[in-house]
Amino acid sequence: MSDMRPVLATLAAALVFAAGCTGGAPTADNNAAQKESELSANKAAFKVALLTPGPVSDAGWSAMAYRGLQAIQKECGAEVNNQEAKDAQIRDAMRSYAQKGYKLIIGHGFEYNAPGVEVAKDFPNTVFVSSSGGATAPNAGAFRFKLEQGFYLAGMTAGLMTKTGKVAMIGGPDVPSIRSTFKAFRAGAMAARPGIQVIETFTLKDSDVAAANQSAMKAIEEGADLLIHQANAAAQGVFNACKDKHVLAFGANMDQNDNDSGAVLASAVIVAEPAFVALAKKVRDGQYKGEIESVGMETGAIDYIWNPALKAQVPQAVMDKVEAAKRDILSGKLAVPMDKF
Amino acid sequence: MSVLRYASVVGYAALGESVGQRSGVINIGLEGTMITSSYFAMIVALSSGSPWLGILAAIAVGVLCGFLQAFFILRLRADQVVVGTALNLLGLGLTGTLYRARFGTSGQLLSVPRLPTFGPGLDAVLLLWLVLVGIVTWALFKTNWGLALRAAGEYPEAVEASGFRPLMLRLQGLSVSSALSGLAGGYLALGIAGAFAENMTAGRGFVALAMVTFGRWHPIGVFAASVLIGYADSLQFELQARQVALPPQFFVSLPYLLALVVLIVAGRGTRVPAALGEPYPREPGA
Repeated sequence: MSDMRPVLATLAAALVFAAGCTGGAPTADNNAAQKESELSANKAAFKVALLTPGPVSDAGWSAMAYRGLQAIQKECGAEVNNQEAKDAQIRDAMRSYAQKGYKLIIGHGFEYNAPGVEVAKDFPNTVFVSSSGGATAPNAGAFRFKLEQGFYLAGMTAGLMTKTGKVAMIGGPDVPSIRSTFKAFRAGAMAARPGIQVIETFTLKDSDVAAANQSAMKAIEEGADLLIHQANAAAQGVFNACKDKHVLAFGANMDQNDNDSGAVLASAVIVAEPAFVALAKKVRDGQYKGEIESVGMETGAIDYIWNPALKAQVPQAVMDKVEAAKRDILSGKLAVPMDKF
Repeated sequence: MSVLRYASVVGYAALGESVGQRSGVINIGLEGTMITSSYFAMIVALSSGSPWLGILAAIAVGVLCGFLQAFFILRLRADQVVVGTALNLLGLGLTGTLYRARFGTSGQLLSVPRLPTFGPGLDAVLLLWLVLVGIVTWALFKTNWGLALRAAGEYPEAVEASGFRPLMLRLQGLSVSSALSGLAGGYLALGIAGAFAENMTAGRGFVALAMVTFGRWHPIGVFAASVLIGYADSLQFELQARQVALPPQFFVSLPYLLALVVLIVAGRGTRVPAALGEPYPREPGA
């Protein structure tokens, strides 16, 4: 069999080689960064960077920020770059972008707020903005996407439509922004049906589809017949469980109504593009002042969208109540509970 | 049944790894093998429409990952832990890159054809697991091949002296380990999740390594360990769903706390294969 060895070695080498070739793609971002630093003699270029807590391929929270970044590139003609950065990497990533002449650095999560304010002192010509967070500086601030508004309406829908009196929320990571949306979902469900049981579970993982699936299955076995998720890339696990058990789900962050499972009744979505573009324009024109900017349904940044394919299953009375609540949120008459973080 | 389903991913990988470790090779690259297999299982199932072809592709990719490691570990005598770790990083990066190149940088929720189930949530791959536990036990302990393979993990010089080839036995052990972890990755994507996401294996390869130790390098012990941990995991999701008022971090760590307790109580007299992780020949050029 020793004559097999060279064959195996060649196979292995071919595999390594192939991997090396395709493995080059993700570093394209980094190469772009290097090229940009070489080109930074050209000071006119407006450069925007995005830091996300997870992969931008998560079809959820981080993906929507990436789309916002692409919109900035398109509409402001900016040079853009993005990176995943967590914990101790955050400050380093911010500093290295700022040193390369980036004018706007967006950190997509509350955890980027404090580092942003801190690093902002050393780079007065760069603006640091985080998605949620409460601290500001002259050149640092935060967005506050009021996704809670969408979750509240989903909660109301769930409360009005449940037959078992039990609904569920399936969370991925246990972070303050997710907790706050779950609180709003619970409040909406309670407002629609006092005494409703709202099951809350977490897998504590970002992209574990099987765990999200198992978690949803258990909630359904406990009687939940409408489920919402904050599982990002693992959401398909929740939707598949709902499909198999013939119950309904809500989409979150992105419009997931057209999911193949056919189980998504409506989605609570963040429309990040306009807010991102408006921010970038402000920074480009030198108009930015450190602030906490709330963006919600009233600015078009949050929406609650029915699935056109399943809309017929929703009784008119339910639809009317939810739409009335939506109008009240828009007019400011109804204030949805929201955590500060 | 549902406990077995969710436990089978770790169970498959751990079963294969018990064979690999018995032959003297520790396959740290289980996680990388699994995620790579998950990806290709998804691609093949999506493009062919057949989850069965996807499972076959997963096994094939698993074996390829095994051969890749074998080249470095067995032929070049590289450190097994280092090579396995490299494979884990390669698998995660490669699948992430290919996934983004094919499905867009901001990702998609993929819905992949799933294996058909029958009865109380059974499917063919799940049944095969139970059958394989028996077959592997028999092969390891009742055949000459099994004796030689185990000896290769204990005292490979003696194996060589008896006319067997330790490196070939180790290649076979590593291949079994890689093939079954490939199958585990395929089943995760096509049997359970019906989807693919970056890093969807979420550490199951490392849990499988722990199960081999926990199950004392015996296929039945490893099976029992996998089912016990799977049961604890299922239980924690159930407790969460019943709204027992404790933080989720406690529940999610429950299976591992249980494993720790079992190891403390029953940890005496573990028998690690004596030559596990050591290259052969032990001296280069010997």
